[in-house]
Amino acid sequence: MQPLIVIGHPGDRRTEGIRQARERLGLPPAIILPYAGLLQGRSLAELLAEQQPAMADAAGRGSVSPLLRLDSPGGSFESERALIALGAPDAPDTSDALYPGFERQQHSSLPPNTEQRQLDSLPHSAERPQLRPLPLSVKAALRLQDLPGVLHHPSQWFRGYCRLLGRLKREAAEAWPGAEWLNDPAEIIAMTDKRETQRILAAAGVPVPRPLGGTQPPVDYASLRKKMAAERMHRVFIKLACGSAASGVIAYQVNPSTGAELAITTVGVESFITRPPIYYNSGKLRRYTDRKTIEAIINWLYRHGAYAEQWVPKASQGGRSFDIRQLVVFGEACHAVARCSTTPITNLHLRSQRMTPTEAGLSEEMLEQVQETARQALAAFPGSAIAGMDVLVSGNPQRTYIADVNPFGDLLYDVEYHGYGTYEWEMKMLADRPQPSLPQHRL
Amino acid sequence: MTEVKLTIGYDEFEEGKRIGEEIEKLSQSAESAALSSLIIGDWGQTYENSSEEVVEALVQHSASFPLLRKLFIGEMDSEECEISWITQSDLSPLLTAFPELQSFTIQGSNNLSLSHLKHDKLEELRIICGGLGKDVLAQIAGSSLPNLRKLELYLGVDEYGFDGSLEDILPLIEPGKFPKLNYLGLKNSEMQDEIAAAIADAPILDQLDTLDLSLGTLSDTGAEALLASDRIKKLKALNLSYHYMSNEMVARWQQSGLPVDVSDQQQSDDDEDWRYPSITE
Repeated sequence: MQPLIVIGHPGDRRTEGIRQARERLGLPPAIILPYAGLLQGRSLAELLAEQQPAMADAAGRGSVSPLLRLDSPGGSFESERALIALGAPDAPDTSDALYPGFERQQHSSLPPNTEQRQLDSLPHSAERPQLRPLPLSVKAALRLQDLPGVLHHPSQWFRGYCRLLGRLKREAAEAWPGAEWLNDPAEIIAMTDKRETQRILAAAGVPVPRPLGGTQPPVDYASLRKKMAAERMHRVFIKLACGSAASGVIAYQVNPSTGAELAITTVGVESFITRPPIYYNSGKLRRYTDRKTIEAIINWLYRHGAYAEQWVPKASQGGRSFDIRQLVVFGEACHAVARCSTTPITNLHLRSQRMTPTEAGLSEEMLEQVQETARQALAAFPGSAIAGMDVLVSGNPQRTYIADVNPFGDLLYDVEYHGYGTYEWEMKMLADRPQPSLPQHRL
Repeated sequence: MTEVKLTIGYDEFEEGKRIGEEIEKLSQSAESAALSSLIIGDWGQTYENSSEEVVEALVQHSASFPLLRKLFIGEMDSEECEISWITQSDLSPLLTAFPELQSFTIQGSNNLSLSHLKHDKLEELRIICGGLGKDVLAQIAGSSLPNLRKLELYLGVDEYGFDGSLEDILPLIEPGKFPKLNYLGLKNSEMQDEIAAAIADAPILDQLDTLDLSLGTLSDTGAEALLASDRIKKLKALNLSYHYMSNEMVARWQQSGLPVDVSDQQQSDDDEDWRYPSITE
């Protein structure tokens, strides 16, 4: 049987979930290769040889074809800091092959100074927004302190993650001729960058909320307001392009009659007189109505890369609106959870109430449509076998949209499908499928 | 009882669907003759478009709804529009157009007016909003609703339209104003303590079964005034849920033996001493 190699944090809820699932199913244990070691510069082959010398040998010769699974790098500040350092301009490995921004820059048809000129034509605002945040050097990144909830440098973190996955993809191909990825690292990157995710989904004909600005998205608060007015899209969701969960999400609306603004978000701000503000994820949802704060937060998001889309009014039941997290494994829609909240932001950790889709009031017919839309979404990523979709169901009329594709969206507790938990089901599907036949090209 | 809810989604509105036409369609359908309850939900981007079109269409087609007894204008949740952003209009022509109406509920108070508030049969009037203007309070105080049994007003906060004071509320509880009133809700207010103190020993309590002071900023101050009143003891129900009373005060209510609801205790914000009524947005 194909050995399973999981890249993750040993002992965290995800790798533990996989370990327990395999134990329960009587499968050989997965080999866990830690992010920590990889981020210290050690190679996949080196780490495998340390744990399983015989298998490393066999994989090197091509007589064993390991299956690689990437899991979430989240939950460890050391890894976050190391990834920000890896994304620094002075990092030793600056190969950006997987970085979507790199491709965009390469194919940009605009003359180099367009963005600055567009900015100059905008109405003058108190603080002229910078287009990009100041980068942190490797040294500065490694000095970052673990402050609860603080969003240190999301765009540089993402660049670092792209560099790491680019390296792992290269290393696996070089060291193990028969290796396969459960989810192609390049697609994990595309799923992590919401701008890429929604572009890929839309191109594949999967329904997504209408993006603000189409192919000319806003770049800051001022252009966001202009485009909202021009497109009559007075209510939008603005998301950090490479954030996870509810990190850096704003439900933002402007009253076209009164000009009043309202931003509901998890982003909190700590302001200082002598240095720039610190932005953090707040445990409780905040409501901002003052323009200055809203403008500062939105400009900060855009400096790190943001994505704005139509706020689709979600279906509600008993005063709570909901969306559905629908897991798809090997083309089959399996575990589903309805996340219900009295606020517009329904992510699990914001004390939303969890229900089954049926309890949330979803009809059988709509449930099937949710599953179908989720399947279509995974199919738009042909090199990926597992993802958790955030599916919106609009209230009037009921239609489905994909709001997000989560490459690590399978950490769902207390939900079963045919009597199996999420990891158990995934491992069972892996074990049951004819060997080897991943729905993807071999590397 | 048959009930219909009409709603226009954001995309439907963009695609040209209009509430006036939907009301007309309903009026021409077979079910209109038997319809007893009609709910008008989102009429399409209600932060921008007022309910005027709803009023015009319903007035024009009122003859097609001979059994209509219950009307709700503006039932929507915050996914569709923030309550404080719903744009209403003068809704009183609806009362003239439906002389048999018994129950009338309004959600949202921007541009709301009830300029000609006279109705012989109306039993229930409810206004749910983030802040009710004193002009509307004056219209209700000056109304003629001899059969009104239930009056439920969300008073709200000044930021969302409440521009009145106790002087604008007191005329509503004058004896004889609403002779059949047995349910009075003056709720969701940022001055809930003042209201409680003013009503605690008011003669209108003698005719009430239910006093509803819920969803506001009621604290021990207002609660003391209520507890000190003998008139309160005759109520069949006293709704104080969603409040800022202390644990001790909650315990006193529980020991009082009175039919009181003191659920949903709120905590004052730790950092700032701000208290919020339930519905502000």
